[in-house]
Amino acid sequence: MSDDERLAGAGGRTGDFTCLVVAVLILAGFAALAVRLKEIQLDSSATITLDGARQSVRRVRIPGERGRIVARDGTVLAMNRPTRRILLNPAAFQKQTWGATATNILEAVGAVAKYVGRPSPLDFDDVARHMRLKLARPIVAWSDVSDEELARFSEASDELTGFFCDEAWHRMYPAGPLAAHVLGYVGREATAGDAGDSKYNFTDFDMRGRSGLEDRYDSFLKGVSGEKKITVDARGFARKEWVVSEPLKGPDLVVTLDMAMQREAERQLEGVKGACVALDPRNGDILAMASSPGYDPNDFVPAIPRKLYDRLSHDPGKPLLNRAALGSYAPGSTFKPITALAGLSCGISPRATHLCTGAYTIGEMRIRCSRTWGHGDLDLAHALKESCNPYFCDMGVKAGTNVLMRTAKIFGLGSKTGIDYSAEAAGVVPDDEWKRAHWGERWYPGDLPQMSIGQGMLLVSPLQMARVAGALGTGRLVRPHFKAGEDTHAEALPFPKWQLDAVRAGMRMVVDGGTGRRGGENLSVKVAGKTGTAEVGRGATRRKNTWFIAYAPAENPTVAIALIVENGESGGGTAAPRVREILKARFGENEVAASSVLRVGELGWLGYMCSQMLAISQNSQLSQFSQLSQLSQLSQPRQ
Amino acid sequence: MTFKEKILRFNWALFLPMVALIAIGTVAIWSSGNAREALFHGMWKNHVSSAVFALVVYFVLAFTDWRSIVRWWAPPAYVISLLMLIAVLFAGSEVYGGKRWLWFFQPSEIGKLCVLVFLAYLIMLWAEMREASSPLALEADDGHSRAPGSFGVFTVAAAAAGIPALLILAEPDLGTTLALVPAVIVMLVAAKIWRKGLFALLAAGAVGASLVLGAVYEAEKPGQSAERREAILKLVPLKPHQVKRVKTFLFQDSDPMGAGYNARQALIAIASGSKHGRGIGKGETNRLKYLPPSVSMNDFIFCVWAEETGFDGCLALIALFAVLCSAGAWTAWRAKELEGRALALGITTLVFAHAYINIAMSVGMLPITGLPLPFISSGRTFLVTAVSGLGIVQSISIHNQETA
Repeated sequence: MSDDERLAGAGGRTGDFTCLVVAVLILAGFAALAVRLKEIQLDSSATITLDGARQSVRRVRIPGERGRIVARDGTVLAMNRPTRRILLNPAAFQKQTWGATATNILEAVGAVAKYVGRPSPLDFDDVARHMRLKLARPIVAWSDVSDEELARFSEASDELTGFFCDEAWHRMYPAGPLAAHVLGYVGREATAGDAGDSKYNFTDFDMRGRSGLEDRYDSFLKGVSGEKKITVDARGFARKEWVVSEPLKGPDLVVTLDMAMQREAERQLEGVKGACVALDPRNGDILAMASSPGYDPNDFVPAIPRKLYDRLSHDPGKPLLNRAALGSYAPGSTFKPITALAGLSCGISPRATHLCTGAYTIGEMRIRCSRTWGHGDLDLAHALKESCNPYFCDMGVKAGTNVLMRTAKIFGLGSKTGIDYSAEAAGVVPDDEWKRAHWGERWYPGDLPQMSIGQGMLLVSPLQMARVAGALGTGRLVRPHFKAGEDTHAEALPFPKWQLDAVRAGMRMVVDGGTGRRGGENLSVKVAGKTGTAEVGRGATRRKNTWFIAYAPAENPTVAIALIVENGESGGGTAAPRVREILKARFGENEVAASSVLRVGELGWLGYMCSQMLAISQNSQLSQFSQLSQLSQLSQPRQ
Repeated sequence: MTFKEKILRFNWALFLPMVALIAIGTVAIWSSGNAREALFHGMWKNHVSSAVFALVVYFVLAFTDWRSIVRWWAPPAYVISLLMLIAVLFAGSEVYGGKRWLWFFQPSEIGKLCVLVFLAYLIMLWAEMREASSPLALEADDGHSRAPGSFGVFTVAAAAAGIPALLILAEPDLGTTLALVPAVIVMLVAAKIWRKGLFALLAAGAVGASLVLGAVYEAEKPGQSAERREAILKLVPLKPHQVKRVKTFLFQDSDPMGAGYNARQALIAIASGSKHGRGIGKGETNRLKYLPPSVSMNDFIFCVWAEETGFDGCLALIALFAVLCSAGAWTAWRAKELEGRALALGITTLVFAHAYINIAMSVGMLPITGLPLPFISSGRTFLVTAVSGLGIVQSISIHNQETA
């Protein structure tokens, strides 16, 4: 042992190399920490902090108030009804476990139910599901809270921490079932990200168009979403929220519907299965679109009860189906004007006659005419007027399959109309290829005459036929649309004016004393149209779908209309009078006739028979007015 | 030395930074407690009351001559702490997978200080033996009480420190043991006990630690085959959860939602403090409980402070620790006796080791180890222990001139 150590041990000397080394090491250690802290807190603070924000900040979409749907005359068809809700914030009911938290929430809801006065529809599964999916968002405990309920809740709300009240919007269709198929309905937006909104973590209650215009114009009506941000804690409960941007209300959608016509169309279809479309052939504005049976779209808000939905979707009448746009029917005799144009374009003269003997025979097939004993010699106009089958069978056969089908396609049959609606049927214009693909049969010679009178495999929608009627009247095929102010898309028909005029003359005669005479009775404008009675099914299931297509005024059409009634009697007897009523809603009645003359419908069946005979005997050369005045004279003694 | 003289000799650099750190701790605990359930909102009061008690002990120890503390109090204190450390293994209550609590305190925390004081006692004994066997004293003595050799003292000291260390390790509490090791080594070096061997051991330890780190790196690096990983880990003297911690330290982004969660949240909290912090009580990572509430008040309290006061607050905190430790080292420098110097240096090192390891693991410089931050972390036992330790250092500073 050295002296040195001994002296140090005896405390003879201050200072020591060890102390210095230790002090230096300690200070170096702290310096290293300071350097590292500078690195984290000053140099890379931003990036790491962003990482932290990513785990705690959630984005919420605030849907804008949905725009209304209004008719051009200002009638509100779809609007938003404010509804008050009582909500609760799950964060205020935190317990150690998820299950305990859910139970705690339900207990609190049960306690508040005493003040509100009715039990909440929430059950454990609802709460558990909400906590699993949208923990950071409040739970709706009561919706559609009434004034009294709200008053009772507000009185007690000081004690009810975690509960609050807010206002939400429910879709409402003030006119109920009116134009239900046109409007469609809305449904609950499923979850955030449903519509590709991956940018948001949550979406507040929102509705989304599920069919009809609500669906087609969903993004238009929706407006601009706002954004809210919330911070969530490590367990996912919301702690703080702030609005980043306010939502903007969606614009109103103005539709071209003529409400008088729409109402009348629906009234005319009450109790029957059928559909009606009326449009403006000049620009394509849809004036009315009705389908029967219907439904009340209010039932779908905020969510349709399962049972009701099952009932609607399993109803044999298919009330959810919009027959006007999605129905596919054989056009029957309403197709004859197209056959006529096909024939005319092949060089057949409108004055050329065909002898109707009551049936048309091709091979072993016999196509009967509506008049068993035959019409005799007929030219085009009278063939249309009487809806003579043999005449048009002959004409179709003369024109040939190719020309006939091409003409049908010129009128937009077999393809979609391009209407701004959620869905539409394209229908079928068959040919050899189509028949082989779908029926597995070749094209028989008998198919052509069948096609010529609108039977067989041809399928069209009422919407397409309304368009056809308009095109016949104006010479231009328009693209129909609902949204007011849309540009007109129209294609001129490739037929010379004289050909169209020949067909128009026939269609005018249809209403002026022909099969569709009841379609234009006593109207202030002249109507041109065509009846149709399409036979569907065979044997016991055989029934008739009755059509009437028309345009008016005949000289300068502003309305084109197609109406179908399933299982009707005849086009002239079932469909035409209904169209007349709808046109009346637009144009009004002939003032003289309306004031002084009894209408046919009021004469009873005897009077009706008389009028029929009269019409036949007089060969329809008399004007409507003189015809009816005679009828009224006849009926005078009976009254 | 009169009491007035003692007061005049009072070393404020050993006192004021400590009080400031306790104040910081109170604020941080208040903020951390507010992020938790109502039960924890008043935790800061516990810190204050413990601090008051600890300061009373501080002054008692500071104004008592440290020599009598070492001579008369050290052996019984050491024996009692040993008994408590044994008792806690049998009767301790289990918290977070370790038996660390006996009734209301943690014996391991008190044990650490007792070990250091007892080492000082051994050093004192050794110095006195050498005094007795020195050439000057030879004539008076017949040589029976010849002092033991340097290595002999080392063995005794190593056993004295090793037994409680092993007991603490058995709880298990690796962090506390880890903090004790440098303090013991510094004391032995300061007392010049078997220095050459100690340095060799230190070097061996450093090599061993790097080997373990390297082995875990090799085993856990991406793309390593499962068999080779197993084979390597078999050679590493670490438990699976410790391997996981080392792994998350080496590969910081490997498992952000699992083992690396705490480390990642600690980093986010500290970084989001940025330059000036988010403001007291406004630390989002803490308030939103991303920083796990179970540790935010103890092992990760630094993150709470760092988030709310930013780089400014962190620098202030580190500066306070640096002043405190420097004052401790200065006291050791001035100490006349070898045991006083060793003890002052040992306690200073103990405080430094805790502070350094705690902050270093928070900022990702060391693997996660459960270790409190002195004066700041919530925890009565350790607060009282740390303050008492500094009380002894203060006593060494005050009673430097008066010989026993």
